[in-house]
Amino acid sequence: MIASFAIIAFAALIHASFQLSVSMLTLLSGHAIGRRTAHHKLLQFACSFITGVAFMVLLLISFGAFVLQHAFPQDIPLLVWAIAAGLLIGLGVAVWVFYYRHEKGTSLWLPRDVARYLADRTKATKSNAEAFGLGLSSSVGELIFTLAPMAIAALVLTQLEPLWQLIGVALYVLISLGSLLIVYVLIGGGHKLSQIQKWRERNKHFLQFAAGAGLLILGFYIYVEKVISVIMTGGS
Amino acid sequence: MQTSDVIKRDGQRPTETFDQAKLHASVLAACLSVRTPEGEALQIADKVCEVVMKWCETKPEITSADLRRKAAEALENHHPEASYLYKHHRLVM
Repeated sequence: MIASFAIIAFAALIHASFQLSVSMLTLLSGHAIGRRTAHHKLLQFACSFITGVAFMVLLLISFGAFVLQHAFPQDIPLLVWAIAAGLLIGLGVAVWVFYYRHEKGTSLWLPRDVARYLADRTKATKSNAEAFGLGLSSSVGELIFTLAPMAIAALVLTQLEPLWQLIGVALYVLISLGSLLIVYVLIGGGHKLSQIQKWRERNKHFLQFAAGAGLLILGFYIYVEKVISVIMTGGS
Repeated sequence: MQTSDVIKRDGQRPTETFDQAKLHASVLAACLSVRTPEGEALQIADKVCEVVMKWCETKPEITSADLRRKAAEALENHHPEASYLYKHHRLVM
């Protein structure tokens, strides 16, 4: 049980280290402050955005766990664990290679047209409902990288009792929002966006290394714990 | 005074005439977004516009990237933090 929650928490922590939502929240706040939006309204925007992200993560992980539970009602086959471990390791390497572009700022892997579109949508956001929608779409936009940690968490969730599944989902969503909540608190506390953005730029290589290393470590752990150890003990 | 044409990024959008009000609004927004008091932000935006207007006076055509670079340079002298955001706003994601 503790090992399952540790895997869910670690996967969520890796999820939290991905930066598209943080970039969009930073931009959203910058545009809102630049338009002389009142502080409470700015916080409402940010809150709506984070709620949107939370809602989509909740839906995706619940959907994933539901599908996996129905696909494998007895036990998760070794092959599925092996595929999931391979996905984590592959994405870990991909994060190291091309998560950030090799240029100034915190430009991400996104195609530039998509990044421009998202930036323009962020600029055009003027209501809480739009901010909520933006939060939803930012979660979907980052899915290519967050898919692996979410898949692992969903696989682990299927092995828990129903009540613990709910707690596991809540834990995953809460931890995965960690970086957004930190930005929210900083903005709420009156910190300058330039300081937040400069910190992100200074530490982007560390964040990239940490996310990639996290994926690799989790991938190897899953492979050893769920595949190798079962084979060694004569399971199938 | 001659008005300059602004060639948009990558030439994908149509060229438009230089609009001082648009430049002023963008510099003002950058200053406000780093929580500069409004009066000070307006003064800085005025000064930056002055510098940029002088620079593009003799140029029939300028690119939007050059315009942004020049404005960021001028803004750097008055408010480095705002200049940082102004320069990097396309590189946040």
